[in-house]
Amino acid sequence: MAGADLGGGGSRSHKKKGSSIKKPKRIGFSLDMTPLVDVAFLLLTFFMFATTMAQPQIMEMSTPPQLDVPIDVQASRLVTIYVRFDGKIFYNTGLDPAMQPLELNKIKEFSVQRNSEKGNDLITSLKVDPRAKYSQLIKVLDELNLAEGDLTEKYKQQKTTRERRFAMVQMTEQDKEELAKL
Amino acid sequence: MAHKPKRVGFKLDMTPLVDVAFLLLTFFMLTAKFKSDAESEQKFEIKRPTASADTAKLPEMGTATVKIGIEKGGDTVMYYTVANEKDRGAIYTQVPGITMEEASKKAQVMVPDTTVLGHLVLATRSKTSNKVKFAIDADRRINFGRIEQVMNTFRSQGATTFNFVTVSQQSSGKD
Repeated sequence: MAGADLGGGGSRSHKKKGSSIKKPKRIGFSLDMTPLVDVAFLLLTFFMFATTMAQPQIMEMSTPPQLDVPIDVQASRLVTIYVRFDGKIFYNTGLDPAMQPLELNKIKEFSVQRNSEKGNDLITSLKVDPRAKYSQLIKVLDELNLAEGDLTEKYKQQKTTRERRFAMVQMTEQDKEELAKL
Repeated sequence: MAHKPKRVGFKLDMTPLVDVAFLLLTFFMLTAKFKSDAESEQKFEIKRPTASADTAKLPEMGTATVKIGIEKGGDTVMYYTVANEKDRGAIYTQVPGITMEEASKKAQVMVPDTTVLGHLVLATRSKTSNKVKFAIDADRRINFGRIEQVMNTFRSQGATTFNFVTVSQQSSGKD
Protein backbone atom coordinates (compact mmCIF):
# COMPACT_ATOMS: atom_id res chain seq x y z
CA MET A 1 0.00 0.00 0.00
CA ALA A 2 2.59 2.46 1.12
CA GLY A 3 4.79 1.60 -1.81
CA ALA A 4 1.97 2.09 -4.30
CA ASP A 5 1.12 5.44 -2.77
CA LEU A 6 4.64 6.57 -2.97
CA GLY A 7 4.90 5.47 -6.55
CA GLY A 8 1.68 7.26 -7.51
CA GLY A 9 2.83 10.45 -5.80
CA GLY A 10 6.15 10.29 -7.46
CA SER A 11 4.77 9.84 -10.91
CA ARG A 12 2.28 12.69 -10.43
CA SER A 13 4.92 15.12 -9.30
CA HIS A 14 7.01 14.08 -12.21
CA LYS A 15 4.18 14.83 -14.64
CA LYS A 16 3.61 18.25 -13.06
CA LYS A 17 7.19 19.15 -13.42
CA GLY A 18 7.04 18.38 -17.06
CA SER A 19 3.90 20.36 -17.81
CA SER A 20 4.73 23.38 -15.61
CA ILE A 21 6.43 25.13 -18.45
CA LYS A 22 3.30 25.28 -20.62
CA LYS A 23 0.57 25.80 -17.97
CA PRO A 24 0.49 29.24 -16.35
CA LYS A 25 0.52 29.30 -12.52
CA ARG A 26 -3.00 29.43 -11.19
CA ILE A 27 -3.83 32.43 -9.03
CA GLY A 28 -7.09 32.15 -7.08
CA PHE A 29 -9.70 29.50 -7.65
CA SER A 30 -13.40 29.29 -8.21
CA LEU A 31 -15.68 27.31 -5.95
CA ASP A 32 -19.23 26.31 -6.65
CA MET A 33 -21.08 27.99 -3.82
CA THR A 34 -24.58 26.89 -4.78
CA PRO A 35 -24.98 24.14 -2.14
CA LEU A 36 -23.58 26.49 0.48
CA VAL A 37 -26.07 29.16 -0.46
CA ASP A 38 -28.84 26.58 -0.46
CA VAL A 39 -28.08 25.51 3.07
CA ALA A 40 -27.55 29.08 4.24
CA PHE A 41 -30.91 30.15 2.90
CA LEU A 42 -32.61 27.11 4.31
CA LEU A 43 -31.31 27.93 7.77
CA LEU A 44 -32.11 31.58 7.27
CA THR A 45 -35.70 30.81 6.40
CA PHE A 46 -35.99 28.49 9.37
CA PHE A 47 -34.73 31.07 11.82
CA MET A 48 -36.85 33.78 10.29
CA PHE A 49 -39.99 31.75 10.81
CA ALA A 50 -39.09 30.30 14.16
CA THR A 51 -38.22 33.56 15.82
CA THR A 52 -40.86 35.59 17.60
CA MET A 53 -40.17 39.24 17.17
CA ALA A 54 -42.70 41.03 19.34
CA GLN A 55 -41.76 40.31 22.88
CA PRO A 56 -44.66 40.68 25.25
CA GLN A 57 -44.56 43.43 27.78
CA ILE A 58 -46.06 43.60 31.19
CA MET A 59 -48.20 46.13 32.93
CA GLU A 60 -48.01 45.89 36.67
CA MET A 61 -51.18 45.99 38.64
CA SER A 62 -51.89 45.86 42.33
CA THR A 63 -55.11 45.17 44.07
CA PRO A 64 -55.70 46.03 47.70
CA PRO A 65 -55.55 42.98 49.96
CA GLN A 66 -58.84 41.65 51.18
CA LEU A 67 -59.76 43.35 54.40
CA ASP A 68 -62.69 42.61 56.61
CA VAL A 69 -62.97 46.15 57.86
CA PRO A 70 -63.79 48.76 55.26
CA ILE A 71 -61.62 51.85 55.37
CA ASP A 72 -63.25 55.23 55.29
CA VAL A 73 -61.89 57.71 52.80
CA GLN A 74 -62.51 61.40 52.61
CA ALA A 75 -64.95 62.07 49.81
CA SER A 76 -62.91 65.00 48.54
CA ARG A 77 -59.92 62.75 47.87
CA LEU A 78 -61.74 60.35 45.67
CA VAL A 79 -62.14 60.28 41.94
CA THR A 80 -63.69 57.31 40.18
CA ILE A 81 -63.42 56.41 36.54
CA TYR A 82 -66.10 54.17 35.12
CA VAL A 83 -65.99 52.07 32.01
CA ARG A 84 -69.48 51.25 30.82
CA PHE A 85 -70.44 47.95 29.16
CA ASP A 86 -70.08 49.51 25.71
CA GLY A 87 -66.65 50.91 26.48
CA LYS A 88 -67.73 54.51 27.12
CA ILE A 89 -65.88 56.21 29.91
CA PHE A 90 -67.33 58.35 32.68
CA TYR A 91 -66.05 59.79 35.90
CA ASN A 92 -67.28 61.26 39.12
CA THR A 93 -65.69 62.64 42.22
CA GLY A 94 -66.42 61.90 45.83
CA LEU A 95 -68.01 65.29 46.30
CA ASP A 96 -69.96 65.35 43.07
CA PRO A 97 -71.54 61.97 42.40
CA ALA A 98 -73.02 62.99 39.05
CA MET A 99 -71.21 61.07 36.35
CA GLN A 100 -69.54 63.05 33.62
CA PRO A 101 -68.46 61.62 30.28
CA LEU A 102 -64.75 61.40 29.61
CA GLU A 103 -62.90 60.80 26.37
CA LEU A 104 -60.26 58.10 26.26
CA ASN A 105 -57.58 60.44 24.96
CA LYS A 106 -58.43 63.01 27.63
CA ILE A 107 -57.78 60.64 30.53
CA LYS A 108 -54.09 61.41 30.70
CA GLU A 109 -54.67 65.14 30.85
CA PHE A 110 -57.50 64.65 33.31
CA SER A 111 -55.44 62.50 35.62
CA VAL A 112 -52.46 64.85 35.56
CA GLN A 113 -54.67 67.83 36.28
CA ARG A 114 -56.61 66.20 39.11
CA ASN A 115 -53.49 64.82 40.72
CA SER A 116 -51.74 68.16 40.50
CA GLU A 117 -54.62 69.75 42.37
CA LYS A 118 -54.66 67.24 45.18
CA GLY A 119 -51.08 66.10 45.25
CA ASN A 120 -50.43 62.64 46.58
CA ASP A 121 -53.75 62.63 48.38
CA LEU A 122 -55.90 61.87 45.39
CA ILE A 123 -57.22 58.34 45.24
CA THR A 124 -58.13 57.17 41.78
CA SER A 125 -60.35 54.17 41.48
CA LEU A 126 -61.40 52.39 38.37
CA LYS A 127 -64.64 50.52 37.98
CA VAL A 128 -65.12 48.43 34.89
CA ASP A 129 -68.33 46.76 33.84
CA PRO A 130 -67.84 42.98 33.50
CA ARG A 131 -69.37 43.16 30.02
CA ALA A 132 -66.83 45.73 28.83
CA LYS A 133 -63.96 44.52 26.70
CA TYR A 134 -60.59 43.79 28.26
CA SER A 135 -58.85 45.92 25.63
CA GLN A 136 -60.75 48.97 26.86
CA LEU A 137 -59.50 48.38 30.39
CA ILE A 138 -55.93 48.17 29.15
CA LYS A 139 -56.36 51.36 27.15
CA VAL A 140 -57.60 53.21 30.22
CA LEU A 141 -54.84 51.77 32.38
CA ASP A 142 -52.31 52.72 29.75
CA GLU A 143 -53.50 56.33 29.74
CA LEU A 144 -53.36 56.41 33.52
CA ASN A 145 -49.86 54.98 33.44
CA LEU A 146 -48.79 57.62 30.93
CA ALA A 147 -50.18 60.27 33.25
CA GLU A 148 -48.29 58.64 36.08
CA GLY A 149 -45.07 58.97 34.15
CA ASP A 150 -45.68 62.69 33.68
CA LEU A 151 -46.53 63.11 37.34
CA THR A 152 -43.43 61.30 38.53
CA GLU A 153 -41.39 63.60 36.34
CA LYS A 154 -43.14 66.64 37.73
CA TYR A 155 -42.59 65.54 41.30
CA LYS A 156 -38.95 64.85 40.63
CA GLN A 157 -38.50 68.44 39.52
CA GLN A 158 -40.13 69.57 42.74
CA LYS A 159 -37.86 67.22 44.69
CA THR A 160 -40.74 65.27 46.17
CA THR A 161 -41.76 61.70 45.62
CA ARG A 162 -44.91 60.56 43.98
CA GLU A 163 -47.04 58.02 45.76
CA ARG A 164 -49.63 56.53 43.58
CA ARG A 165 -53.00 55.77 45.06
CA PHE A 166 -54.93 53.72 42.63
CA ALA A 167 -57.28 50.79 42.95
CA MET A 168 -59.53 48.77 40.77
CA VAL A 169 -62.89 48.32 42.40
CA GLN A 170 -65.70 46.01 41.52
CA MET A 171 -68.60 47.76 39.85
CA THR A 172 -71.80 47.63 41.83
CA GLU A 173 -75.28 47.07 40.45
CA GLN A 174 -76.12 50.61 41.46
CA ASP A 175 -73.27 51.95 39.34
CA LYS A 176 -74.46 49.92 36.39
CA GLU A 177 -77.95 51.37 36.70
CA GLU A 178 -76.60 54.89 36.95
CA LEU A 179 -74.42 54.37 33.91
CA ALA A 180 -77.23 52.89 31.87
CA LYS A 181 -79.21 56.11 32.26
CA LEU A 182 -76.50 58.23 30.68
CA MET B 1 -19.12 35.57 -35.76
CA ALA B 2 -19.86 32.10 -36.92
CA HIS B 3 -16.94 30.53 -35.12
CA LYS B 4 -18.06 31.82 -31.68
CA PRO B 5 -19.78 28.98 -29.82
CA LYS B 6 -23.32 29.52 -28.56
CA ARG B 7 -23.28 30.12 -24.81
CA VAL B 8 -25.07 27.52 -22.74
CA GLY B 9 -25.54 28.51 -19.09
CA PHE B 10 -23.71 31.30 -17.40
CA LYS B 11 -21.56 31.93 -14.38
CA LEU B 12 -22.67 34.17 -11.57
CA ASP B 13 -20.52 35.36 -8.72
CA MET B 14 -22.48 34.37 -5.67
CA THR B 15 -20.04 35.70 -3.11
CA PRO B 16 -21.97 38.89 -2.19
CA LEU B 17 -25.17 36.87 -2.00
CA VAL B 18 -23.55 34.40 0.35
CA ASP B 19 -22.16 37.27 2.41
CA VAL B 20 -25.57 38.79 2.91
CA ALA B 21 -27.23 35.45 3.50
CA PHE B 22 -24.77 34.59 6.23
CA LEU B 23 -25.07 38.00 7.78
CA LEU B 24 -28.84 37.62 8.02
CA LEU B 25 -28.47 34.04 9.18
CA THR B 26 -26.16 35.06 11.99
CA PHE B 27 -28.52 37.85 12.98
CA PHE B 28 -31.53 35.60 13.15
CA MET B 29 -29.63 32.86 14.92
CA LEU B 30 -28.48 35.21 17.62
CA THR B 31 -31.79 36.96 18.10
CA ALA B 32 -33.98 33.87 17.86
CA LYS B 33 -36.17 33.27 20.84
CA PHE B 34 -38.01 30.07 20.54
CA LYS B 35 -41.53 29.37 21.55
CA SER B 36 -41.76 27.94 25.02
CA ASP B 37 -43.19 24.47 25.62
CA ALA B 38 -46.39 26.02 26.82
CA GLU B 39 -46.77 28.13 23.71
CA SER B 40 -46.21 25.25 21.36
CA GLU B 41 -48.93 23.25 23.08
CA GLN B 42 -51.38 26.06 22.78
CA LYS B 43 -54.06 25.67 20.17
CA PHE B 44 -55.28 29.23 20.21
CA GLU B 45 -53.63 32.54 19.54
CA ILE B 46 -53.85 35.33 22.04
CA LYS B 47 -54.35 38.75 20.52
CA ARG B 48 -52.80 40.82 23.25
CA PRO B 49 -53.98 44.31 24.03
CA THR B 50 -51.67 47.13 23.09
CA ALA B 51 -50.05 49.47 25.54
CA SER B 52 -47.42 52.13 25.28
CA ALA B 53 -46.62 53.23 28.82
CA ASP B 54 -44.90 50.18 30.23
CA THR B 55 -41.83 48.94 28.51
CA ALA B 56 -40.89 46.23 31.00
CA LYS B 57 -40.50 42.89 29.27
CA LEU B 58 -42.20 39.76 30.42
CA PRO B 59 -39.52 37.76 32.24
CA GLU B 60 -38.93 34.29 30.90
CA MET B 61 -38.39 32.74 34.29
CA GLY B 62 -40.16 32.97 37.60
CA THR B 63 -43.57 33.69 36.19
CA ALA B 64 -46.92 32.02 36.48
CA THR B 65 -49.32 32.99 33.77
CA VAL B 66 -53.04 32.66 33.42
CA LYS B 67 -53.86 32.55 29.76
CA ILE B 68 -57.32 33.40 28.60
CA GLY B 69 -57.91 32.99 24.93
CA ILE B 70 -60.57 32.34 22.36
CA GLU B 71 -60.48 28.98 20.65
CA LYS B 72 -61.35 28.43 17.01
CA GLY B 73 -64.94 27.54 17.84
CA GLY B 74 -65.36 30.81 19.71
CA ASP B 75 -65.21 29.38 23.21
CA THR B 76 -63.23 31.15 25.85
CA VAL B 77 -60.64 28.92 27.44
CA MET B 78 -58.37 29.40 30.39
CA TYR B 79 -54.95 27.84 30.84
CA TYR B 80 -52.37 28.10 33.57
CA THR B 81 -48.65 27.74 33.18
CA VAL B 82 -45.61 28.03 35.42
CA ALA B 83 -42.43 29.06 33.61
CA ASN B 84 -40.07 27.01 35.77
CA GLU B 85 -39.95 23.51 34.48
CA LYS B 86 -38.84 21.89 37.71
CA ASP B 87 -41.68 23.33 39.78
CA ARG B 88 -44.32 22.67 37.20
CA GLY B 89 -45.11 19.03 37.91
CA ALA B 90 -45.03 19.52 41.65
CA ILE B 91 -47.51 22.36 41.44
CA TYR B 92 -49.91 20.76 38.99
CA THR B 93 -50.10 17.46 40.84
CA GLN B 94 -51.07 19.16 44.08
CA VAL B 95 -54.25 20.50 42.62
CA PRO B 96 -57.46 18.51 42.67
CA GLY B 97 -59.33 18.67 39.39
CA ILE B 98 -56.25 18.20 37.24
CA THR B 99 -55.57 14.66 36.09
CA MET B 100 -52.20 13.08 36.83
CA GLU B 101 -51.59 12.56 33.15
CA GLU B 102 -52.12 16.20 32.31
CA ALA B 103 -50.07 17.33 35.30
CA SER B 104 -47.05 15.27 34.37
CA LYS B 105 -47.05 15.77 30.63
CA LYS B 106 -48.30 19.22 29.89
CA ALA B 107 -46.48 22.50 30.24
CA GLN B 108 -49.75 24.32 30.66
CA VAL B 109 -52.91 22.97 32.17
CA MET B 110 -56.47 23.79 31.39
CA VAL B 111 -58.33 25.57 34.15
CA PRO B 112 -62.01 24.70 34.21
CA ASP B 113 -63.05 27.22 36.85
CA THR B 114 -61.76 29.75 39.35
CA THR B 115 -61.75 27.23 42.22
CA VAL B 116 -59.09 25.20 40.42
CA LEU B 117 -57.27 28.42 39.60
CA GLY B 118 -57.31 29.35 43.27
CA HIS B 119 -55.71 26.00 44.15
CA LEU B 120 -53.11 26.48 41.43
CA VAL B 121 -52.21 29.97 42.62
CA LEU B 122 -51.95 28.78 46.19
CA ALA B 123 -49.80 25.78 45.22
CA THR B 124 -47.55 28.01 43.14
CA ARG B 125 -47.09 30.46 45.95
CA SER B 126 -46.22 27.81 48.52
CA LYS B 127 -43.95 25.86 46.16
CA THR B 128 -41.91 28.82 45.01
CA SER B 129 -41.87 30.47 48.45
CA ASN B 130 -43.83 33.37 47.03
CA LYS B 131 -41.15 34.56 44.63
CA VAL B 132 -43.20 34.04 41.53
CA LYS B 133 -44.65 36.85 39.43
CA PHE B 134 -48.25 36.35 38.41
CA ALA B 135 -49.44 37.50 35.04
CA ILE B 136 -52.70 37.59 33.17
CA ASP B 137 -52.26 37.00 29.48
CA ALA B 138 -55.65 37.52 27.97
CA ASP B 139 -57.08 38.15 24.55
CA ARG B 140 -58.20 41.72 24.07
CA ARG B 141 -61.64 40.65 22.89
CA ILE B 142 -62.43 38.94 26.18
CA ASN B 143 -65.04 40.51 28.42
CA PHE B 144 -63.66 42.14 31.51
CA GLY B 145 -65.85 39.91 33.70
CA ARG B 146 -63.50 37.00 33.01
CA ILE B 147 -60.47 39.04 33.98
CA GLU B 148 -62.24 40.25 37.07
CA GLN B 149 -62.84 36.68 38.19
CA VAL B 150 -59.15 35.91 37.82
CA MET B 151 -58.19 39.11 39.60
CA ASN B 152 -60.49 38.28 42.46
CA THR B 153 -59.00 34.79 42.66
CA PHE B 154 -55.50 36.24 42.82
CA ARG B 155 -56.61 38.62 45.46
CA SER B 156 -58.31 36.00 47.61
CA GLN B 157 -55.12 33.91 47.47
CA GLY B 158 -53.07 36.86 48.62
CA ALA B 159 -51.39 37.57 45.28
CA THR B 160 -52.16 41.25 45.29
CA THR B 161 -49.54 42.27 42.74
CA PHE B 162 -49.73 40.86 39.28
CA ASN B 163 -49.16 41.88 35.68
CA PHE B 164 -51.17 42.25 32.55
CA VAL B 165 -49.38 40.98 29.50
CA THR B 166 -49.53 43.48 26.68
CA VAL B 167 -47.75 44.14 23.45
CA SER B 168 -46.19 47.42 22.42
CA GLN B 169 -48.14 49.65 20.07
CA GLN B 170 -45.40 49.81 17.44
CA SER B 171 -44.98 46.11 16.91
CA SER B 172 -48.64 45.22 16.56
CA GLY B 173 -49.68 48.36 14.76
CA LYS B 174 -53.43 47.97 14.81
CA ASP B 175 -56.37 48.44 17.14
